[in-house]
Amino acid sequence: MGAFTRTLAHRSAVVSSRPVSLVLPMAGALLLAALLFPICWMLAASLMPESRLFESRPLLPTAVTFEHYRALFDERDFLVPIRNSLLVSGLTTLVAVPVAALCAYALARLRMRGKGLVLACVLAISMFPQISIVPPLYLILRELRLLNTYPGLVLPYLTFSMPLGVWLLTGFFRQLPKDLEEAAMLDGATRMRALRDVVLPLAAPGIASTAILTFLYCWNEFLFALSFTLGPDRYTVPVAITLFRGRYQVPWGQVLAATVVATIPVALLVLACQRRIVAGLTVGATKG
Amino acid sequence: MPRLIAHATGAALGLLILSGHTLACSSQEATTRLTFSGSALGPEADVVQRQLARFAERHPEVRVELQVTPDSADQRHQLFVQWLNAHAATPDVLQLDVIWIAEFAAAGWILPLDGFESGIDDFLPASVATARWRGALYAIPWFVDVGMLYWRTDLLDRAPRSLIELRQDALRVREAKSARLGLVWQGARYEGLITVFLEHLAAFGGGILDDRGRVIVDDPAAIRALTFMANAVNVDRVVPSSALTWQEEQVRFAFQNGEAAFMRNWPYAWALLQDESRSRVARRFAVAPFPAGEGGQPAAALGGAQLAINTRSAHPMLAAELVAFLTAPDQMIERARLTAQLPPRRSLYDNAELVAALPMPLEQVRPILEAAVPRPATPVYSELSEVLQVWIHRALTGQEPPAVALQQAAREMRAVLVRAGLSTEGPTR
Amino acid sequence: MNHGTASIERAETRLAWLLVAPALAVIVLVSLVPIAVTGWDALHVHDLRLPWLGRPFIGAGNFVEAVNDPRFRAALLHTVAFALISVPLELVLGLGLAVMLHSATRGRAFVRVSALLPWAIPTVVAALLWRFMFDAQTGILAASFRTLGVVGPAFDWFVHPLAAWLPIIAADVWKTTPFVAILLLAGLQAIDPVLGEAAQIDGAGPVRRFFTITVPLLAPALVVAAAFRMLDALRLFDLAYVVTGGGPGSATEPVSLYAFITLMQRLRFGYGSALSITVFLLTFAFALVWVRLLGRSLTGARS
Repeated sequence: MGAFTRTLAHRSAVVSSRPVSLVLPMAGALLLAALLFPICWMLAASLMPESRLFESRPLLPTAVTFEHYRALFDERDFLVPIRNSLLVSGLTTLVAVPVAALCAYALARLRMRGKGLVLACVLAISMFPQISIVPPLYLILRELRLLNTYPGLVLPYLTFSMPLGVWLLTGFFRQLPKDLEEAAMLDGATRMRALRDVVLPLAAPGIASTAILTFLYCWNEFLFALSFTLGPDRYTVPVAITLFRGRYQVPWGQVLAATVVATIPVALLVLACQRRIVAGLTVGATKG
Repeated sequence: MPRLIAHATGAALGLLILSGHTLACSSQEATTRLTFSGSALGPEADVVQRQLARFAERHPEVRVELQVTPDSADQRHQLFVQWLNAHAATPDVLQLDVIWIAEFAAAGWILPLDGFESGIDDFLPASVATARWRGALYAIPWFVDVGMLYWRTDLLDRAPRSLIELRQDALRVREAKSARLGLVWQGARYEGLITVFLEHLAAFGGGILDDRGRVIVDDPAAIRALTFMANAVNVDRVVPSSALTWQEEQVRFAFQNGEAAFMRNWPYAWALLQDESRSRVARRFAVAPFPAGEGGQPAAALGGAQLAINTRSAHPMLAAELVAFLTAPDQMIERARLTAQLPPRRSLYDNAELVAALPMPLEQVRPILEAAVPRPATPVYSELSEVLQVWIHRALTGQEPPAVALQQAAREMRAVLVRAGLSTEGPTR
Repeated sequence: MNHGTASIERAETRLAWLLVAPALAVIVLVSLVPIAVTGWDALHVHDLRLPWLGRPFIGAGNFVEAVNDPRFRAALLHTVAFALISVPLELVLGLGLAVMLHSATRGRAFVRVSALLPWAIPTVVAALLWRFMFDAQTGILAASFRTLGVVGPAFDWFVHPLAAWLPIIAADVWKTTPFVAILLLAGLQAIDPVLGEAAQIDGAGPVRRFFTITVPLLAPALVVAAAFRMLDALRLFDLAYVVTGGGPGSATEPVSLYAFITLMQRLRFGYGSALSITVFLLTFAFALVWVRLLGRSLTGARS
């Protein structure tokens, strides 16, 4: 290739990259705006008085009112679903993560036959459509008198939180250096001791990611909560918001206020732990 | 490390104890406890609390509790079925929608009320008919809802006397631009749609089940009725297409803001429409029965609630006393005054107290009550209704022609009856 | 010596199974047993509201009814069509977002949080949000479409059987594009930049580099993302229930929603179980296909 053609090629490379270097940030900004707009709108609309909501051009909020939030907590006692969601999500996480951690440790670090089979089973089960296990779970919970109770929701929630925990934690444990326990055991510690003193501290970030993701999934869960709770005293947040109805209509102002309130804990979690969350989501992908 | 485990265990235990405590609290027992479950929304809540408290005063050894249920009727229905199917002993007294009584009676979930037979003649016959299953009385009517045609007295001289007049009036008003919409009714895919359809059915002389229990929604009269409704939405456009997502409140808003000349809604709307601070049509409307079409009669869909007793109640006699108390004339008049819900006792309509208590003039209400049309009393009504709702909604949204929709609906409804062992069709059909 | 290592191995295996046992027990109890019971119930008549019918065994009767049920067939069609439309959209948009996340030099945290928020929000909240924005009276998007003349002045999105799908698809794409983006981002970050530089020296423009280097190397991550999304799309429930309730008529009703209505509203547990099992078989069949595909793509990438 002569010097002339080489210069041409270089120049065309430079020229052709310029519009792209503009397009990418612009497209990105558009995408970001599309992602954030509905949330901002939700916030803005929840602060609008009811009458403005029904006008045909509710674009710019002129008046700001906290009426909907007040009604949410005074008339609808929205603290109850929040409490229910916190309890159920917290309990499920506290039960699922430790048990899954033990299993994941074994699958990731110990020698055993049938590892692949167990993992494949776990993955397959996490793919079950939730609706498929609603009928028998409903009947079983009914017999055990656990309908409309906290344990009655934690149990079904284990169907997805356990496989999720095992899958994620196996990935995290695999990422740890291979000879970690060997070094500790050479010093005379038992395997369990090594697990407790050496492995767990290093795996703590991964465990935290798993716990956060488990909590998030439980907080957002809808179908089981809808099927296994019977009354407003045990509704979780998603169910309570969806079933917000006056006798004859949907009170949009209060619904939007409720969605904002339901989003706040999630948003706080995301803000505080976004690295952990991303780590959790990608551990499954990178291990391939 | 051990500290972490200790903390986690402590947290888990704490949460478990908390949830267990909450469980325990909800199952505390005291003196004789009667549980009442029904709708308690807005003014209804006040009335119910008041009357329950009054009953408790007269029966000092009894504590009456109001068990909260979801606001929407469909959810309350689902909840009741799940409780009763699980053989729950509470609630002792249930407020049932008129369309659920046959279902609960046939399943053996509510008690026959033979002790109430003697005084039952005072109640509206149509209401009592919905409370009977296989001849026995299973519930006592508590309040009555009837579908009414609200019309604007400032835009029209008199209420339309036929469906043709209704259509013409609506078109005329829309063309003169005195109101943006002609007629509004509840068109969302829910039970309210069936009540609207029922009125159109009766207006053309049709019905859902005949008196032998056979499905007749594919009869020519029914097809004419649904065609009329579909044309109103899609051809004449006197009914806005958005109405197909509206329930009672959205319909009320449209009329209340002065946008419609006619509204089909329940009595509860009257008091709200008269509120001058919010309503633009205060004192400029009246009510009439939904007019008849060819071969039919003016009709008002019958709704309302009735009180029944749980078969597994631990205190059936006490529950019966509560039912008798709540359905006594005094309580009914108080309810009418506070919630504008019509009492089902015929004698009350000659009572001056009621006339004073009701916000709407009695002479407008009477013809509507006389035109009351009940929905079929069958244990599988909710399933039949759900099938019908889907097909009617498909026809109204233009997905099927009305004739096809009703034929399909009839086919599925017959299958439901056959499956439930309730079919009264001959084998050839 | 041999004897010693063998017994150590056995001890390790025993410990391993001990540690695995609790999790496995829970999974079997709350997932495998119920699905078997659903399958069993699907072979019987079981109507909670008609106790006088009992629970007779009817073999494949419920499944025959399902095959002849036009509403069920329509629901299957809706579900598959929804998956085939929304998943490619999410993959394309997710890839775009991932590229953007990858090449962003400043404000990475802000971008990441903005991307994560829609994914983290409860599905029903997203559904209510999009329902609100498309609502004929109060919806800002509905109003905008009307102003722009895209639809008529009296158009109601939820009354039209096809248009009602738009809010559902929009909500799903909005909510899960970030998830796909994050999955793909990990793949992007694993691509050796040397490859791109070499191609640039050879004169390949950025678009060409993208399609000949980036996309093929991302293939495994794309397949994983596609599989997860496809599985979730086939199980569509929350969005349909909240955004349209399955209406108008039953035009936006996916199989999970129809199964739910049959089970929890009509309380026909036998027939509902048959419908649920069919959903399960559908996703299971797809998962099998995916495992084959994944296996092939992984071995392909390695070679």
